Amino acid sequence: MDTAFALQLLVNGLMIGAVYALIASGLSLTFGVIGIVNFAHGELYMVFAMLAYFVAGYLETPFSLSIALVMLTALCVGAVLYEVLLRRLAGKDFERSVLGTMGLAMVLQNGAIFLFTTTPRMVPHTLSYSAYTFGSVAVPALKLLAAALATAALGLVWWMLHHTQLGRAMRGLAQSHDAAMMVGIDVRAVSRLAVAIGVGLAGLAGAALAPVYSIHPTMGFAFIFKAFAIVTIGGLGNFGGTIIAALMIGMLESFAGTLGSLVMADTLSFAFMILILLFKPEGLFGRGVRI
Amino acid sequence: MKSLIAFAFAAALSGVLPLHAARAQDNAPIMIASTLPLSGNVASFGEMARWGAELAVAQVNAAGGIRGRKVQFDVQDNRCNPAEAVKVTTQMLSDPAYVALFDGLCSSVVLSVMPVVERERIPLVVATASATSISDKSGVGGNPWTFKFNPSDATLAVAMVDWLKKQGLADKIAFLGEDTDFGRSGASGFETALKAGGGKLAAADFYQQGTADFSAVLTKLRSMQPSVLALYALAGDQRNIVSQFMTSGLKMPLTGRLITDVIPAEIIKSGAIDGSTSVQPYSFEIDTPENKAFVAAFKAAHGREPNAIAYSAYDAMRTLLDAIARAPSVDRTAVRDALKATRMQSLIGGEIVFDENNLAHNYAVILQIKDGKVSIVGLSKT
Amino acid sequence: MNGRLLAAILIVAGVAVGLFGSTYVLTVGISAAIFATVATAFNMVYGYTGLLCLGQVAFLGIGAYGSAVLSKDYGLSFWLSAPAGAALASLFGLLIGYSSLRLSRHSFGIATLTASLLCVILARNWVEVTRGSMGLPGLPAPHLGSLSIEHPRDFFWLAFAFAIISIAIMAAVLSSRIGRGFLAVKGNEALARTQGLNTLGYKLLSLAISAFFTGLGGALLVTHLTIVDPSIFDFYYTETLLIMVVIGGLGHFWAVILSAVAFTVIPDLLLFSKDLRMILYGFVLIAAVLSFPKGIAGLARQRAVDGWRKRLAAQARQAAPATSGGSSHG
Repeated sequence: MDTAFALQLLVNGLMIGAVYALIASGLSLTFGVIGIVNFAHGELYMVFAMLAYFVAGYLETPFSLSIALVMLTALCVGAVLYEVLLRRLAGKDFERSVLGTMGLAMVLQNGAIFLFTTTPRMVPHTLSYSAYTFGSVAVPALKLLAAALATAALGLVWWMLHHTQLGRAMRGLAQSHDAAMMVGIDVRAVSRLAVAIGVGLAGLAGAALAPVYSIHPTMGFAFIFKAFAIVTIGGLGNFGGTIIAALMIGMLESFAGTLGSLVMADTLSFAFMILILLFKPEGLFGRGVRI
Repeated sequence: MKSLIAFAFAAALSGVLPLHAARAQDNAPIMIASTLPLSGNVASFGEMARWGAELAVAQVNAAGGIRGRKVQFDVQDNRCNPAEAVKVTTQMLSDPAYVALFDGLCSSVVLSVMPVVERERIPLVVATASATSISDKSGVGGNPWTFKFNPSDATLAVAMVDWLKKQGLADKIAFLGEDTDFGRSGASGFETALKAGGGKLAAADFYQQGTADFSAVLTKLRSMQPSVLALYALAGDQRNIVSQFMTSGLKMPLTGRLITDVIPAEIIKSGAIDGSTSVQPYSFEIDTPENKAFVAAFKAAHGREPNAIAYSAYDAMRTLLDAIARAPSVDRTAVRDALKATRMQSLIGGEIVFDENNLAHNYAVILQIKDGKVSIVGLSKT
Repeated sequence: MNGRLLAAILIVAGVAVGLFGSTYVLTVGISAAIFATVATAFNMVYGYTGLLCLGQVAFLGIGAYGSAVLSKDYGLSFWLSAPAGAALASLFGLLIGYSSLRLSRHSFGIATLTASLLCVILARNWVEVTRGSMGLPGLPAPHLGSLSIEHPRDFFWLAFAFAIISIAIMAAVLSSRIGRGFLAVKGNEALARTQGLNTLGYKLLSLAISAFFTGLGGALLVTHLTIVDPSIFDFYYTETLLIMVVIGGLGHFWAVILSAVAFTVIPDLLLFSKDLRMILYGFVLIAAVLSFPKGIAGLARQRAVDGWRKRLAAQARQAAPATSGGSSHG
């Protein structure tokens, strides 16, 4: 394999990994803080991609503005979702939260099919078919933009978690619910914000990827299971671990998909997850630190 | 809980009692049953099939029906799932008023209802489901009730490969298709056609429906440099592949089942995929007066041009209605015998005659993109 | 709830369907019999043992594919191929169970879900055995002596007998010491372990039995359809099973059977589209989790308990003036 080819695979892997990281980290954050595996996370990503489509189509806003609009909406939706549903499921047995969020996923997915049919849509963009080339390595322009936005957003959340009072509260809550309450953390407000950020990241993913991948009601389904695998590999609720695991899965898919086949890429990422479960059940990076 | 029991009981009883009083009056409508995917992943195709079939029925009714009786077309949802289809079909066919069953769209659905139509002794006209095994099992293959109007995926693939061979483009074909019966039978059709000339596919890749990112497989193709890439992908997947193809630095022409109204118009206009070809059972641009009238009527009703699915459903329904009109009586066996004796012209000029496997041999249409425009470059008998 | 009465009603209803049902009613009856069994098997693992297994559809499909391949390619009769497919499903259940049950409940849920996704990929791509996405059409009908069980009426009797026998076996297991072991694991696992209970063993046993009957149901279902294809692993079945068990009531044996029958029959009576139906199911699931987590049967039991409490309290109040100073705990 020559260097340029290897470099291309590396770049492809990083791009896929960045997208996965954006989607999986929201899942991980929600789990870390309120202990709920949100089965509707993939459907939320789909809903925000749809929203981005309609914002771009009807309001004719520029791309950057529609990303901001969708993300803002996503943050609000996250807060409302916490108050209306997740708060009532948090702290109860795990199975109830699975059922509740799965019910939400069914409503969102079938609702989208009912309202918008399964016809695929795509947001047009002037850069849709352009790529930057470095030597013989091609980097699609909009994917690069999405990856850059993902890096910025994830970096910001990372900084928030480790360097602000709020972030410390979230991490405290993740470590021990009771202890956090005892030291006077407003559990409800902090949890609401954590869910809002998690859903906000799904909103960013939906909007930033709207001109890259086609938009249809079942698009979330393909991503959510990958996201589960990533979160499991990275250690449930471990924010940093999730990002590293996402990049690993992205690399795995890029290399296996190119050197082997696409089916092999899909199979390997699930098989990888099962291996981790077998031999390192707490995930590669453990759950000790969490978030 | 009591009400639940009562409900279950009532439901059980309601079916036990004869719900369907005899409907054999002379002015009662002639009834045709159908199941199509109206929800789920391929609902948009189900809708197209429904529109096509309904248009044919509406036109016959507007012209006074058949022997003064209106035709009624009833469709139920099968979600493209065999279990669902068998249940719904059995339900519909338990009403003896139905004289024929129409399509099912998904091959697995059609294969699973074939034993049902044999048991109920009712003709089944397959308009859009494309697996080769359907006609293999029909006529002399065992099931005398099933008639297949549209060419199978494999025969379309053969037509495409023959054309590519003539152009000298068939030496290094790579294949990328979805891992469904559509993609798989496309690949085997390509393989079979290439084997006849001693060749084979340079590569064959399959992906799961709904896959978003194709950068891995496109990078592989870039290092392999095939002369042409055959795509068997539907709707959103095809749109994804073609737009990612544009940003991946690949330059070869595409072929297979390109759906030109799925590919963003600006890509076709840009000339970036000039030289690409596609094989379809239909193109709305085919220049026959019958087809023009159909396209105009379809457009008036639904605001868009018909695609291959809408066409096949329409023309297959026409074939069925023609058989019902020719049958000496409106009865399931008489309609089957009339279907067997069909001899009519399809909208696109092919002759519809069912062979010993009850398979019709309509035309396949070869399309090519030249100078940013799509044009028909050939019709070939399948 | 009087189990014996309900069982009698269901059996009478089944016999009525078998004797007088039209072809359509028989077809619905076949689905109802199969899903009542499969839902009971799910109830055993989730309702009684407390394991939210999201891979039931994998067992269904493995049983179906196992039986189909053995009967079509190896000429095994249905009576051998179906149990063999079911045993394969059971073995698969043990494998995933053993690897993920030692961990947290989250891991178990996600691992079983992933296993069912892997099954779809396998069914689509292991073409030599499964024929890929084209599926295996033309599955042979079971034979009983010289009778070929093909007609819906004959097949209904087969499915009905299958349901009665399987449900009876599961009822027997659940009311035995093993069943109490399952409940102990669900109730308080740590406590059960300190009592010397082999909790992992009980969990695996529950999963294996459940997988076996689910696989058997899958084999029966595809033999009836005469075709098996990857849509047997449809996520829709997982969702439907969840609805059946959750609405019926976790750990309520007869209520789940009734709700499985109801959910097989009702959809055909509802006139609106499947998308709307699934939206409704989703809302029902959310509402159930929020307001009656123990299902309709749980709700009914709660009502009954509340009723007794009130009556006792009222009696106590009436009695209070007569017995001066007597304590009355309501």
